[in-house]
Amino acid sequence: MSFEPNILTFCCNWCSYAGADLAGVSRFQYPANIRIIRVMCSGRVEPAFILEALNDGADGVLITGCHIGDCHYIDGNKNAEIRINNTKKALAKLGFDKRLRLEWVSASEGARFAEVVKDFTEEIKKLGPNPVKEVKINE
Amino acid sequence: MAASNVQSCYQCGKCTSICPMRRVSKTSPRSSIYNSNVYGLDTKDIWTCLTCGLCPQECPQQVDFLSFVKEEREGKKYEEIAHKGVFSETAALMSKLNGSSVVTQEQKSENSNYAYFPGCVDFLDLFLHDVGVNFGEIATSSMKLLNHAGIKPKILPLKCCGHDVLWQGKKDVFDRLVKYNTKVINDSGIETLILSCAECYRTFAKDYNLKPKVVHISEFLKGTGANHKSTVTFHDPCRLGRHMGQYDAPREALKASGAELVEMAHNKGDAMCCGVSSFMNCNEQTKAMRVLRLDEAQATGAKTMITTCTKCLAHLNCLKNEKEAAKKYDIDIVDLTVYLARQLEAK
Repeated sequence: MSFEPNILTFCCNWCSYAGADLAGVSRFQYPANIRIIRVMCSGRVEPAFILEALNDGADGVLITGCHIGDCHYIDGNKNAEIRINNTKKALAKLGFDKRLRLEWVSASEGARFAEVVKDFTEEIKKLGPNPVKEVKINE
Repeated sequence: MAASNVQSCYQCGKCTSICPMRRVSKTSPRSSIYNSNVYGLDTKDIWTCLTCGLCPQECPQQVDFLSFVKEEREGKKYEEIAHKGVFSETAALMSKLNGSSVVTQEQKSENSNYAYFPGCVDFLDLFLHDVGVNFGEIATSSMKLLNHAGIKPKILPLKCCGHDVLWQGKKDVFDRLVKYNTKVINDSGIETLILSCAECYRTFAKDYNLKPKVVHISEFLKGTGANHKSTVTFHDPCRLGRHMGQYDAPREALKASGAELVEMAHNKGDAMCCGVSSFMNCNEQTKAMRVLRLDEAQATGAKTMITTCTKCLAHLNCLKNEKEAAKKYDIDIVDLTVYLARQLEAK
């Protein structure tokens, strides 16, 4: 059986979640590997969420938010950008940075949402399963 | 008999009266021992405990409250860890991955009997980017000072020391980290491991079983002063002071650098805690404690407050950088190594 990754996706309520919705309504095909969690703003996503997801065996974490300048809360996505980039640098020390991605998807970009998910899923498939899953807890 | 000697507690309540958390909340070490001993209950107090080490000093029955807390926390999960537990999650992830390390650049210096470990300064820089402290400077300053003292240490590819996960009750993660780090350290053939972080120092010295000697960097800094006249005060981190009994070395290093040392109202064994050891509690109660601590520091009239623990450094600076506090406090909070290295450069 081929490897089907589990990708945790955080969508902001105002743009990306609507974008994902539009992708569904418009019947764009995208891989069913993502699990969406809706948050009010991409700035809500804490580094701890990402690390915990990876720690618990998620193969990838995708964070989507409004384009810079379009944030419903004015500058929430700017904060998100700083935070996610810092988390990425921290993950790079563990050799894990490719499993995290931040993308901007607006409410009208259903096709782009499908494309982002497709692209990220392909990349995770190339990387293979999360090595954390193989570690036995009581080792 | 448990290692904590908790059965001997006769409920005098001295621990509760000295507890720094008691000043700001309803925490009671006495009642958490009572509830555990008599009823076998968990209390929230075992999680609000700062593990600062004040109460064991006062206890007439030599109850080791720290071991008690460590035993009680083991295997349980607390939801309100400061910063959502981002550092312990990082440590957990690190413990499971081969080839990951805290240290970006491994430095192999041949024939060196010394190794230096900077701790998690890089991760602190990334996750606490908004507190206005350059944590990386601690590592570079330490290296500068050690080189100045004629020591060219190796930098080993160690993982996190596991201090935070140990005190947060994640024993399985801690055991994995210990297994890896002990192997790397013992195989490297060094004789002395030098640490600049008080928490790493405590962990490597007391919770690991290592062949090399574990030494805090302050013991190497006596000759590095630049005869710079200034008034400073020293904040004893609980890990360096009460846990390891190291009060004099940092003070001597400061005096040798020409600084005039003024002590705060609570110092050495009675030093008040910054409130966030092992990233457990960064909330309004512990913030009240940090306000008390900065008030004491301000009252000494010193312009610089020196400490050697990254947690103290981050959280005291975080408070100081708040708008209202910035008007009130006119004091810099810097790490010991950073303070001395800056003098060395200015010379």
